[in-house]
Amino acid sequence: MTKHPPKVRPKKTASDKGTTSGVTRRSFLQVALAGGTAAGAYISLGRDMSAFAQASGPIVIGHHCELTGGFASWGYWHNKCALAATKVINEAGGIAGRKLELVTEDTESNPAAGARKLRSLIQRSRASFITGSVHSGVMLASIPVASEMKTVYFSTGEATEATGEKGTRYSFRTGTDTYGLAAAGAPWAYENLGKTWTIISPDYAWGHSHYKEHKAVIEKLGGKVHEPIYVPLDAKDLVPYLARIPEDTEVLFSVFFGALSVAFYTQAKSMGLEKTMKMYSVSGTIEAIAPADLKGAAEGVYIVENFPRMLKYKDDEFHKEFIKQIGIDGVNAREEGSDKVNAKSHSWQSWENLFALKQAIEGSGWKQKSDDQGVIEALEGLQMANSLGFPQGAKTLRKEDHSGMIDCYISRIENDEFHVKKTVAKEDMASMLTPRYDFSKQEL
Amino acid sequence: MSIRVELYRHLAAKPLLIVRGALRSVGGVSVIELVLALAVNGLVWGLIIALIALGLSIIFGLLDIINVAHGDFFMLGTVAALTLTVASGSYWIALLLVPIIGFAVGIVLERLVIRPTIRQASLTIVTTFGLSMMLQEGVRAIYGAQPRRMEAPIEGTLPLFGIDYDVYRLFAAAFAALCLIAFFAFLTRTKLGTWIRAVRHDPETATALGVPVARICAITFGLGTAMAFLGGVIAAPITTVEFRTGVDILPFCFMAVIIGGLGNLQGTVAAAVLLAVLEGLVTSVTDPTIARIISLAFMSVVLLVRPNGLFSGATR
Repeated sequence: MTKHPPKVRPKKTASDKGTTSGVTRRSFLQVALAGGTAAGAYISLGRDMSAFAQASGPIVIGHHCELTGGFASWGYWHNKCALAATKVINEAGGIAGRKLELVTEDTESNPAAGARKLRSLIQRSRASFITGSVHSGVMLASIPVASEMKTVYFSTGEATEATGEKGTRYSFRTGTDTYGLAAAGAPWAYENLGKTWTIISPDYAWGHSHYKEHKAVIEKLGGKVHEPIYVPLDAKDLVPYLARIPEDTEVLFSVFFGALSVAFYTQAKSMGLEKTMKMYSVSGTIEAIAPADLKGAAEGVYIVENFPRMLKYKDDEFHKEFIKQIGIDGVNAREEGSDKVNAKSHSWQSWENLFALKQAIEGSGWKQKSDDQGVIEALEGLQMANSLGFPQGAKTLRKEDHSGMIDCYISRIENDEFHVKKTVAKEDMASMLTPRYDFSKQEL
Repeated sequence: MSIRVELYRHLAAKPLLIVRGALRSVGGVSVIELVLALAVNGLVWGLIIALIALGLSIIFGLLDIINVAHGDFFMLGTVAALTLTVASGSYWIALLLVPIIGFAVGIVLERLVIRPTIRQASLTIVTTFGLSMMLQEGVRAIYGAQPRRMEAPIEGTLPLFGIDYDVYRLFAAAFAALCLIAFFAFLTRTKLGTWIRAVRHDPETATALGVPVARICAITFGLGTAMAFLGGVIAAPITTVEFRTGVDILPFCFMAVIIGGLGNLQGTVAAAVLLAVLEGLVTSVTDPTIARIISLAFMSVVLLVRPNGLFSGATR
């Protein structure tokens, strides 16, 4: 008997049912609907959890800092100050009862890298606020990014544009800018040092900004300012530039930083320029450098400081505790156990910015990102009292242009120490510095 | 101790009485004086740079290595100079020891870093770039990022075409010139120098004739490194000591090597001096940034007209 294979009734194919893969339109819609609902619930739950975490977990503040590159000698101190301030804040209970978590990104002293790292701080590390760069190029490249991402950014450098034409509702600065430094020092220097000026500076934004602001002040007072001498940033030999300084110069205003500063003082001294003209500068030129390490090359130079290098010129408990916390001495601002010198006129901002944010966050009742408007409004016009949080001294973060109104000091280097010759009070600064911009009217 | 040579002051000032007063510029120094002063300064600086660029050139000429870390060897030279001067209390001891240290560093680096990638030009760029970063960050980690000043062992100025000119610079230029002469004498009048030239010219034939090529390569790399270190110890009292000192010097050295003709040693020296003098001269009459642009434009023209370099006749 022959066995025949059983007859198999052909099954209906998917196409026969109006589907392409065995799934009916109805079942597909059912599954899709159920999946969509589940996904929606998951996303919603996740968002709520994220919001809950953001509203109750640590407050993340980003530190946009020059740990490497040309500004590394300053960045070291900005980092140290921010870390020390974070420790002090957390030991005292954090911000509004929440732990402060500081996340630092290295800008490499490079504007392009800095802008990229800022995005990383905000997007990847979820920093709610940023205490920012001291490098003018980096901070000016970063403000548009911070503004686009609707994140408060504190600049710590001096280019006026950060709280001027490039400023926004999100950009703040507790320290001074070139506008403020010209107002603080130039009138005194004009009266006491000389009336014919020459400026020599690196050929980039910071130097150009100083030239513009100082020229305006000196010429308004009746003085004469020669054409500026701009030095390429990569110059090693400054003789070709120093040789061009007009002989009738009474005040040589130098604006350099880091290695160029040392090269300038060394080579100017070797040419004996200090014998025929007064040397005047801003703190940035000799920041993180001890006059003693220049072997007398900076002797007699007048410097506008934002924070006196010597403790005795602001001799109070807050200043004492501040220098104790960051481990420097009260004379040369040199680090205990090393030969590093504190970038004292600038790095205090990385300390104080965290306390300013603490004050604004607690004052506005900020819980999460959506509450940022309250913090911005609290920062606009913020009054900061002389305290451990603000050891540089009492100051105001002016509402209109988001600029710090602070005490400034005109010092002279004598026997390798900074001796204050005049203090310019913050009230006088405010009266001289008419706000040029009003960011408080910008929409958020 | 300050050395003021009053005799030179009078001797240098006298011939200038003729041109003083003519073409007065704003500062009281005539344009002619300024041009001459900056030309001399360019020559001085060019001789120091030539020493460093020559090191770069011999390394490229023999080993085909585009040494991106060469500027950092110069930086190490400045750091070593400062360290030894502080430790010993004498600059002259540093001047003697730093090139020797540089030679030893070069020998070690050639064995550890260069030899594994030798004759692979693209790889050597990556390797030496990595080495450059390691050297910079290593110095930053050990010595800190702050720039330092090193005092010149000879103080004082001389009047030079209307400006007070640093005596040490004149010493540095003279010493650099002596070192350059000594190097070329070594290359042409010693057995080792002949071997180096032989390996540069034809490594295969040199090997066949029994020249220890691997050892010659190591010695040449050591010599190139030593020259950068020597440039560092000479330039340290003029410029600044810090971890990034070499970054800015490297492009100028590369320009000298390219304009002089890749691997052409005499051409490199001539180009370094020429470039520095040219930049000094142009700086005296225009903006410094324009001067740099003119230097770069000059290099571009040279590459267009003479792709093998301005002094390409004797290349390799």
